[in-house]
Amino acid sequence: MMSETKKFLKSFLYLIAGIIISLIALFILFPKLYEIASYITIHGLLATLLLTALGLISGFALGITLALMRIYGATELRWLASGYEKLLRGIPILVLIYIFLYGTPGLFFYIDLRYRPIAGVVLALGLRSAAYQSQIFRGAILSVSSGQIEAARALGMTGSQSFRHIVMPQALRLALPAWTNEYAVVIKDSSFAYGVGIVEMTKAGYDFGVAFRELWAVSLGVVTILYFIFTFPITRLFGEYQNKKLKKLGMGGGS
Amino acid sequence: MDEYVLRVNDIWKSYDDLEVLKGVSFELKRQEVKVIFGPSGSGKSTLLRCINLLDPPQKGEIYLSGLNLMGEHVDLNEARSKIGMVFQHFNLFTHLKAIDNISIALRRVKKLTKEEANRKALEALERVKLAKWADHYPAQLSGGQQQRVGIARALAMDPEVILFDEPTSALDPELIGEVLQVMLDLAKSGTTMVVVTHELGFARAVASEMIFLGEGIVIERGTPDHFFTSPKSERVQQFLKQLTILYGTHEKLLEQGD
Amino acid sequence: MFYQIPEPIEDILLVFSYWDHILSGFILTMWLYAWAILIGFILGLILSILRQYGGKILKIISTSYIELMRGTPLLAQLLFLYYLPTSLNLPTPDWAVVSNFSLFDKNFNIIFLNHRTMVGIIALGLNSAAYQAEYFRGSFMSVGTGQLLAAQSLGMSKFEGIRHIILPQALRRVIPSWSNEAAYLPKYTIVVYFISVQELFAEAHYIVAFTYLSLTTYIIIAIIFLVLISTISKGLDVLYNRLKIPGL
Repeated sequence: MMSETKKFLKSFLYLIAGIIISLIALFILFPKLYEIASYITIHGLLATLLLTALGLISGFALGITLALMRIYGATELRWLASGYEKLLRGIPILVLIYIFLYGTPGLFFYIDLRYRPIAGVVLALGLRSAAYQSQIFRGAILSVSSGQIEAARALGMTGSQSFRHIVMPQALRLALPAWTNEYAVVIKDSSFAYGVGIVEMTKAGYDFGVAFRELWAVSLGVVTILYFIFTFPITRLFGEYQNKKLKKLGMGGGS
Repeated sequence: MDEYVLRVNDIWKSYDDLEVLKGVSFELKRQEVKVIFGPSGSGKSTLLRCINLLDPPQKGEIYLSGLNLMGEHVDLNEARSKIGMVFQHFNLFTHLKAIDNISIALRRVKKLTKEEANRKALEALERVKLAKWADHYPAQLSGGQQQRVGIARALAMDPEVILFDEPTSALDPELIGEVLQVMLDLAKSGTTMVVVTHELGFARAVASEMIFLGEGIVIERGTPDHFFTSPKSERVQQFLKQLTILYGTHEKLLEQGD
Repeated sequence: MFYQIPEPIEDILLVFSYWDHILSGFILTMWLYAWAILIGFILGLILSILRQYGGKILKIISTSYIELMRGTPLLAQLLFLYYLPTSLNLPTPDWAVVSNFSLFDKNFNIIFLNHRTMVGIIALGLNSAAYQAEYFRGSFMSVGTGQLLAAQSLGMSKFEGIRHIILPQALRRVIPSWSNEAAYLPKYTIVVYFISVQELFAEAHYIVAFTYLSLTTYIIIAIIFLVLISTISKGLDVLYNRLKIPGL
């Protein structure tokens, strides 16, 4: 088991090193690329990461709640949570953003005008992500084998104790691969904030192109690479490989 | 009533329309070991789950040292902490090391401090001869070792009685011996046990009474001698014949350990 | 809180009076969707076969393509493609394939194909291909390598084995997860709004510009998407149940 981990980490590190080296080579060969990249990073990266983080966190809070509602709640709660999931998965994220920012302009009255677009996008991202995270955590919780819950109860642990100490720790580990995938989705969806005037990475790349038309496509190409740097290593590291590792430890896979 | 650790009175249990237990009763004194056996589907596992109320019966009473577990104002979780259970599929907590598997209930249910809990856990592991494996995860242990950790986990709670639900049925043949040995030691040191099993050698060695359960009722009960020399019902005779053909070899394992 | 007077029914009717715009936008959305799914299917299948059964170089190329397309936003990909001619100083010819028809006194002028629409279709197709490829890959893995080995041992070439043994099973198995992608793809056609293609979302803007009923309009659009996606999803479920083979 040890050597397999080492093998994977080794190939993963080689991959990362390869990407970094080729990037550095590119920047040296084409200094203009470096200029573009730094422009985009300085102007847009922070907004992208902020939107992603806030969207994921609010999605997490709501998502876990919905998952618990679906598993442990009364029939009406289950129905409600299930309906929410279906609803939020069927609406395009851009429409959602527009509903919150332009459909209900008074919604964020308590927020400074400059930050309202961000609030609207975060709300849309969070609501959407909650629908998917609910599914992820529901699956993870249900796949913790019921025999362990039985054992916990037999020892005298209360329902909430067995949930907190036995089910949740394992469910969170089991949810990790799917969750990093969701992270990738949210960071990609954050690019739609472009449509409401927030300067995140895609808008920054576009703006650069407006100023330097011959470099328009290149600029957007750099944007793409930047997104890739933020998604690929993470999904690779915590993705399918984690699944196999977890199976080896005997976690998940039903009772 | 207090001389009886466990009194199971006229238990009736059904799932929807299917009646699984139809009026089962028995009692257990301190330090006694009773073995429940019978064909599959006879309700043996269900009976155990009724006793610690993981799956409450529709009718009947369970008395633990005189306390009616189905009465009002009974703290079920506290009661469960006094009844130990060992499962057929071990049901160890896969994300915890062996020692933590044992100490977690000591900390959360019995509210011991971390040091006390770890000390007791280690003691329990020593009793099942696994002290060296305290820091291993269940996935790193063999089936027999996992089950012994399961036994240690139940032991550490100092229960009044331990229920064993076919503890060796899911084990590879070579591993059954080590678990049976631990159970024998426990029985000989005075632990009060109710064991559902096919291991007749074990029953013959330590059981004070054997109970044959078939189709939800007690068909016959008696001492091991009674069953092995002159069982009354034909059902029981047939069943015993089939078992000794399948499991006869384990006698040797137990004799070695003696 | 709302700057419209809450007379919702009146508002809804007003929005629906622009039904011709909604319809034309919807038709274009479906048009884009159909092409995206088709291109995505063919390209995705090829990619996943190359990734699963190809030589080392082909494997690397296809895997890189898939990971790149899946790890970057559709919007950025679309804009990149759109501004490529500008960067290369290529002229973008002004051509269009238009459809003109009348329905209930309303005149429809739908641009089915022009430079922008084509870029949109290509971008959506290329993107969808990467996601579909992943579904196919999972399906190939579930069929397993054993059967291909058996086919080859009987004398079939790798290509024949894939074609006659693997594909029939893999394609059947992929339907449940593939329906997921197929049902939710319409959501992503919205992205062509950013290059001025008049699909449903763009038409919504048009309506809002005239009616100022932003909330009502966007909610109606959202509901249209919801209904569309649910219908496709349900339809595919029914299809799958009809085609099921026991044990597969």
